[in-house]
Amino acid sequence: MSEIAATVAIMAPPEGVRAPAYTAEELARYDGIVQRYARHVYNIAYRMTGNQADARDLSQEAFLRVYRALRRVQPGAPLESWLYRIVSNLYIDLLRRRPRARVESLVTPIETARGEMVREFPDIAANPEAVFEREHIDAEIQQALGVLSPELRMVLVLSDIEGFAYEEIAAILRVPLGTVKSRLHRARQVLQQRLRPYVEAQRRGWRP
Amino acid sequence: MNHHRAGRLLSAYVDGELTAAEARAVQEHLLDCAACRDAHDRLRATRDLLAGLPPAEPPAEFWANLRHPIAQGSVPSGVWMLRGAAARLRAAWRAGAWAPWRWVAVRRPAWALAAVAAMLMLAALPLVKGTVDRLHATEIGVDLYVHDHAMQMGHAPLVDRAYVGLVAGDAELVLAGETPRPVGDNVR
Repeated sequence: MSEIAATVAIMAPPEGVRAPAYTAEELARYDGIVQRYARHVYNIAYRMTGNQADARDLSQEAFLRVYRALRRVQPGAPLESWLYRIVSNLYIDLLRRRPRARVESLVTPIETARGEMVREFPDIAANPEAVFEREHIDAEIQQALGVLSPELRMVLVLSDIEGFAYEEIAAILRVPLGTVKSRLHRARQVLQQRLRPYVEAQRRGWRP
Repeated sequence: MNHHRAGRLLSAYVDGELTAAEARAVQEHLLDCAACRDAHDRLRATRDLLAGLPPAEPPAEFWANLRHPIAQGSVPSGVWMLRGAAARLRAAWRAGAWAPWRWVAVRRPAWALAAVAAMLMLAALPLVKGTVDRLHATEIGVDLYVHDHAMQMGHAPLVDRAYVGLVAGDAELVLAGETPRPVGDNVR
């Protein structure tokens, strides 16, 4: 936990940095926010983007906004909804700025001159020894998350990975409760098909 | 409860997010329906599989960058840039770097005034010219611009930069700390 300890140190901005002149108290408050939320923000960003570099950029951008708005944030106000909504918006922003990296649902058929074609995936159960290692499973799950549309993925990440209740997710994403329910149900159905061998193993009480 | 409706409620049932009456109805259906029991078990296993993912570990430099959010990469806002410039000018004045200019200002105020006026004019010239150009461009281009955005908004509202900027922009900052608005509950 040395990284966290590092963030506890009072943040004297280095020489020549153009930062708003915050008092030590305000900087300590910012530090408190970082400690409380940074791991969650990073985790959500990582599960959404699927790679470290984008997750880091998204999280840093989100906290930069907190930093700039520090005086407008009431002390002790719960920032969860606001922060996670920023992450969600920043991710959508990222997709828009990078149209070539646009996430396309892999389960939708591809249109070709000879009609629609469905993508084929390698059978994940083909190599039984390697398949049930923790890292391999994590990678498979992350890849399966990437198959989902951003909307479905965000609901799934907030619910099943971050453990939010439906009401909270509805508040974070500003969508009706019924939308949260239906998105989550659809997302789990898609994942369950993609990850069938693991789901079956999990059902039989197996743990990696 | 019919099979189709129970099927749609299974995820919420797994999460304990149904009303007591709905949950009872689903439970009764599960006793009768092997297919729904199977679907229920698979949904729960899927959820548990995701819940078992370890939290992603941020890289080491992540924490250092969060400590000094302004120092890295991001563009500082105009206000901070002006403040920084003003601070540097003040420092230069104190350090005596402006001594020759101070002499001019004191001994020949008219020269100094003329010099300042000339500097201001030189600085203002591109601004004025830019504004005139823009005004001119609007006269020609406004129809095209509006037409373009109207088409784009109708076609794909979330792709229109101006529109999305409006929806997802910094306007949200004001809302921090505000009590959340009641969430629409139109389906339950």
